[in-house]
Amino acid sequence: MAGDEEIEIYEEGEESMEVKNEAEAKTEGGDEKVLQFLDSLDEYLTLMDSLNSKLREGWFDLASARHSMGTLRISSTLLDLKDHSASSTLQVTDQEVESLGSVPRFALSKWASKGGSGKGKDFSTDAVSEMGSPRSPQLRHRGVSEEKPSAMGETVLAADEEIKKERAKSLSVFGGLVSPKLRGAQLSFETALETLVEIANTRSSMLTAFERITKK
Amino acid sequence: MYGFEALTFNIHSGYLEAIVRGHRAGLLTTADYNNLCQCENLDDIKMHLSATKYGSYLQNEPSPLHTTTIVEKCTLKLVDDYKHMICQATEPMSTFLEYIRYGHMIDNVVLIVTGTLHERDVQELIEKCHPLGMFDSIATLAVAQNMRELYRLVLVDTPLAPYFSECLTSEDLDDMNIEIMRNTLYKAYLEDFYKFCQKLGGATAEIMSDLLAFEADRRAVNITINSIGTELTREDRKKLYSNFGLLYPYGHEELAICEDIDQVRGVMEKYPPYQAIFSKMSYGESQMLDKAFYEEEVRRLCLAFEQQFHYAVFFAYMRLREQEIRNLMWISECVAQNQKSRIHDSVVYMF
Repeated sequence: MAGDEEIEIYEEGEESMEVKNEAEAKTEGGDEKVLQFLDSLDEYLTLMDSLNSKLREGWFDLASARHSMGTLRISSTLLDLKDHSASSTLQVTDQEVESLGSVPRFALSKWASKGGSGKGKDFSTDAVSEMGSPRSPQLRHRGVSEEKPSAMGETVLAADEEIKKERAKSLSVFGGLVSPKLRGAQLSFETALETLVEIANTRSSMLTAFERITKK
Repeated sequence: MYGFEALTFNIHSGYLEAIVRGHRAGLLTTADYNNLCQCENLDDIKMHLSATKYGSYLQNEPSPLHTTTIVEKCTLKLVDDYKHMICQATEPMSTFLEYIRYGHMIDNVVLIVTGTLHERDVQELIEKCHPLGMFDSIATLAVAQNMRELYRLVLVDTPLAPYFSECLTSEDLDDMNIEIMRNTLYKAYLEDFYKFCQKLGGATAEIMSDLLAFEADRRAVNITINSIGTELTREDRKKLYSNFGLLYPYGHEELAICEDIDQVRGVMEKYPPYQAIFSKMSYGESQMLDKAFYEEEVRRLCLAFEQQFHYAVFFAYMRLREQEIRNLMWISECVAQNQKSRIHDSVVYMF
């Protein structure tokens, strides 16, 4: 009958609407994944460019320092061959990601003290856990979260002083009084190291985003 | 007596003055530097240098070249010129020429001691030493644990022995102590050289006083800038300044308490010869300071050739060659790093 036919058409219309909505949702979800992938790819390329630029700057500053101080004072012959611990360390942890299992996450710990008390700054990025939003690097200072603001300021100052001393110590292989250009080169290479870790994390998030797109 | 050198100078030193003026004519010109700045790689630089006095020193070097190779081979040319002059020299010129070597001897001593502290192989360190600063017992430096041993075992029989009186301690050698030792030795050497030139008198004394005073002042500025933010105290910093020069003593008093580059500028701008140097730089900047000082030094060294019958031309020639080698090193580094637009940041033209 006409009424039954109308109901059937209406139900078919509703079903096709539901199917259409599901398809739209699927498409939107797929678009979002593609956008995430493209965002992380863009960030990766930007970081690679930044790394290239920092390394060029570092090598150029090193050449400037050699020009200023002399080739005898800046050469690989003076590098220290005694046993000593690394001034910076890299930690690799596995982070669980929904439906993809574990993905690696890299965290750089710069200028850690020799005693392993961990006074160095921890430059880590939560790239994998923040897939949906623009990634921003977060700095974590160990052991300061429960301290009052004025005490935190003093702790930060003390940590900065410690880092200054560690920097000066690593440059002392070239002598006690070095050119500001050599210090500039050190900072450039330090920044390049941080950028490398960011690149590793970005690459990890990029590959994760790619897997999400290709996964059925 | 000043003014009568023309009567007697050529008897013993005329030939060598002619030789050194011939060498001066062989220094690279602006046209040579322009050609070198156009090079695409280090083999191109080698090809351009083959037409200069360095040609015979570089021709047998295999590709790929390295910037350190270019510097080493060009330094051999300087060493050969020096050896030819010193073997022909009589007193007091031979002593004057020996003084030119002492700065390199100090650098070599510090290199060996620092390298030994860092557990480097002695033979490797000796290969890196400057040829002009070599002496017989240099390898024995590796056994010393402190400055007293350094002096007693090795340096007591070298020309550097008199310079050790101010830094004889039993403290173990570490990076800062070695740096203080380097600067203290160099201070004593400069003062001794200055006194020797004063004793010679005449045009040599006049021109060398100016050149050595400039060297002392430049060292004072470099020590000040390099020690900003380090553990070197004001008193220790002041002890490293030489006891002569335009900045001595009031400029040194002010430099000793400087904490940043702008304060250093404030001190130096009170002295007209250095006001011109610092006016080339903007506030807070120290990148161009080295080039500005080198340019001023080259200007003064070139003026030394305007007068005859004095020994300062030999000192000036050696310093100009060293500046030329520094220029070649800089150009090679910029070409190797594909930074040709930055070549003119540090090249100092002479003629």
